Amino acid sequence: MTYMELQLGLALPNHAAISVKGFDLNTYLYEPKDIIASNNPSWNTLGFVFLPTTTTYNDAKKRSFDEAFHQVRSVPQTLPLLHWTNQPNDEDDDPKDLDTNSSFSSNKISEEDGVVGWPPIKNLRKIHRQQQQHHEGRRAAAAKNNQTVENGFVCGGRQYSNSMLVKVKMEGVAITRKIDLTLHDSFQSLNTTLITMFGLWHQDSNSYKLTYQDKEGDWLIADQNVPWRIFIRTVQRLKLLKSSD
Amino acid sequence: MLKRMSYSSFPEDVLEHVFSFVQSDKDRNAISLVCKSWFEIERWCRRRIFVGNCYAVSPRMVIRRFPDVRSVELKGKPHFADFNLVPEGWGGHVYPWIYAMATGYPCLEEIRLKRMVVTDETLELIAKSFKNFKVLVLSSCEGFSTHGLAAIAANCRNLRELDLRESEVEDLSGNWLSHFPDTCTSLVALNIACLGSEVSFSALERMVGRSPNLRTLRLNRAVPLDKLANLLRRAPQLVELGTGAYSSDLRPEVLSNLAGAFSGCKELKGMSGFWDVVPAYLPAIYPVCSGLTSLNLSYASVQSPDLIKLVSQCLNLQRLWILDYIEDSGLEALAASCKDLQELRVFPSEPFGVEPNVSLTEQGLVCVSEGCPKLESVLYFCRRFSNDALVTIARNRPNMIRFRLCIIEPQTPDYLTHQPLDTGFGAIVEHCKDLRRLSLSGLLTDRVFEYIGTYAKKLEMLSVAFAGETDLGLHHVLSGCESLRKLEIRDCPFGDKALLANAAKLETMRSLWMSSCSVSLEACKLLGQKMPRLNVEVIDERGPLDSMPESFPVEKLYIYRSVAGPRFDMPGFVWNMDEDSALRLS
Repeated sequence: MTYMELQLGLALPNHAAISVKGFDLNTYLYEPKDIIASNNPSWNTLGFVFLPTTTTYNDAKKRSFDEAFHQVRSVPQTLPLLHWTNQPNDEDDDPKDLDTNSSFSSNKISEEDGVVGWPPIKNLRKIHRQQQQHHEGRRAAAAKNNQTVENGFVCGGRQYSNSMLVKVKMEGVAITRKIDLTLHDSFQSLNTTLITMFGLWHQDSNSYKLTYQDKEGDWLIADQNVPWRIFIRTVQRLKLLKSSD
Repeated sequence: MLKRMSYSSFPEDVLEHVFSFVQSDKDRNAISLVCKSWFEIERWCRRRIFVGNCYAVSPRMVIRRFPDVRSVELKGKPHFADFNLVPEGWGGHVYPWIYAMATGYPCLEEIRLKRMVVTDETLELIAKSFKNFKVLVLSSCEGFSTHGLAAIAANCRNLRELDLRESEVEDLSGNWLSHFPDTCTSLVALNIACLGSEVSFSALERMVGRSPNLRTLRLNRAVPLDKLANLLRRAPQLVELGTGAYSSDLRPEVLSNLAGAFSGCKELKGMSGFWDVVPAYLPAIYPVCSGLTSLNLSYASVQSPDLIKLVSQCLNLQRLWILDYIEDSGLEALAASCKDLQELRVFPSEPFGVEPNVSLTEQGLVCVSEGCPKLESVLYFCRRFSNDALVTIARNRPNMIRFRLCIIEPQTPDYLTHQPLDTGFGAIVEHCKDLRRLSLSGLLTDRVFEYIGTYAKKLEMLSVAFAGETDLGLHHVLSGCESLRKLEIRDCPFGDKALLANAAKLETMRSLWMSSCSVSLEACKLLGQKMPRLNVEVIDERGPLDSMPESFPVEKLYIYRSVAGPRFDMPGFVWNMDEDSALRLS
């Protein structure tokens, strides 16, 4: 078929035979070394140096082979689609950047668990890890049935860590905090700490309710109806929700 | 039949014979560019093809150009699919390929697939279409069940390799293994490590017993330890073994029986598995340790002291995958004993824990970079790093080819100076001249991309997350990295300007992935319109694109070159930004 078939997807691209330059007569060569050499960290004060690519002997040769075999490829005349200028994001004042930024930050913390796909660990590995922990939980429980805190805070599969940190999120606040539950023995002291942690006034604190996620992944309200003992054994993470009523 | 001409002084048959010794795709491609007659001769005798993106070319085009292929390797979904960034139902179906090859390549012997959707129907079609079928490797594939595997087992009489790698298989019955007929004795490799349920053990035992050429056997977790010795005695010729669950009630006779069986395996070079490991049984493999070149303990929750004992006996180890339980002290021991180590991967045991549960820091990797002169490939998860450590590693190991560092908390600065890790990664790209793959993490400004664009001239794949400040970062990479083939970016403030300024570069690359970045719908449309050889696909699960303002940043963007045009199997949440769609949307 066409020359393109040789390159596209059928194999590792052959860099010797086809270079960036070979693809596009109109492309511009940007020399970043100039920037580094200038030793000036503030890039927006530096003009970018763009040199029109000179057609080298090799490039010309490649094209002639190409043309000898097949029809002349039409090279889009519009590339690059936008000329790089020394103006950093000229549309910075544009309201669109507000969208951009808000979406950027809102996407970052998008799930209860933090960020989707981060840290980058394959699914199968996560599944095995859960099974492993389950297995170890059982083994540890059999080994010393006087120990009750499981919570997945298995340290090295054998001993448990002394602290018991869980994530806390407050509705409307992007940053997730951590809290050590071993420092508390009641919802009252936990609430007091959370109020301080998120900088709430006491009167505001009434407009939030504390919820927690148990091991099954269900979200439950954490209040005096739940025995502290049960709570501490099953809690995986905490969330402060705005009371709707 | 095309007329075959030869301008060279060699007869065609001679050339064809010579070409048959050229194995690499790159060299074969070079040969086909020499002249028209070489192009013709080469295409008729090409037996193996690799398609890095199943949408870059159509099966029909491939079959037309290479009429007599015996081995096909295809890749489907983008790499970030491994981390759930590609929505379910995105595509990557292999059926159209198998359907075309069933008539195009009746003599096909090998199929290797990565990240593709493979249905039971597809497996049945493979089983009945290719009479001399030998190798099926499904790596990170999904969509099929043990029923499909049963069809392969029952019909592929000459099967040599069945390797399921890290596929997600719907596990309907462990009985599929008994569909291998008793006459099937050709098996060389069987990897069923990813399967969840128990396989029929008697079928497995018979299969192992009647396969004199079996070299690789990777069992799944459901195979208990007390069955392992029996299997090993039937296959002392094994070169690679993946154990099942490596635990059992501690009984001395199990241990001695196992140790006896292992000492009979003189050829063993690679080991994996070790699920639910009970460290007390690890001494059973001590007899084979000195022969091992590859050891995957990344599913084995073993503490550092036991790991040190094990690893320091594997003096010829070249590749080690391990959990961070090994800790800095264990890596120090590794660096002291394993002088041939080439590849090290250290995975986190508690990736979502908020506090370090082990003492694994940058020091461990620094030690290995000092002690192991052949180290060239690294994947390292840890919780802190420093520029100093990166500079030391770069100076110690200029031979590094793959360097992937994941500092678990995004945007973590140098823990000593609280500075970005720009100069550290800069040192990596500056010193490691042959670096082909790089993954960045930690706090990074545009400056690191300036270093990468300047120095990483052989870099082929770059993964970026939570890094950079402006478009300039992306511009440095696209304009500077001349060998770049795959670029994947998530959660970085890169947008339209850098992308459009380097539009032509994208045609030289296999693919670009950008999610949660700042590329507008408008820019995607422009790119799609002006670059007809690129498929510009916007993935957005928030709703129809025409209801969104042009300036809206798209959720996910996947750009790849293709000679096949837009794909036909796009689900509702994927939009191709070709000319038609641009008109439709505007």
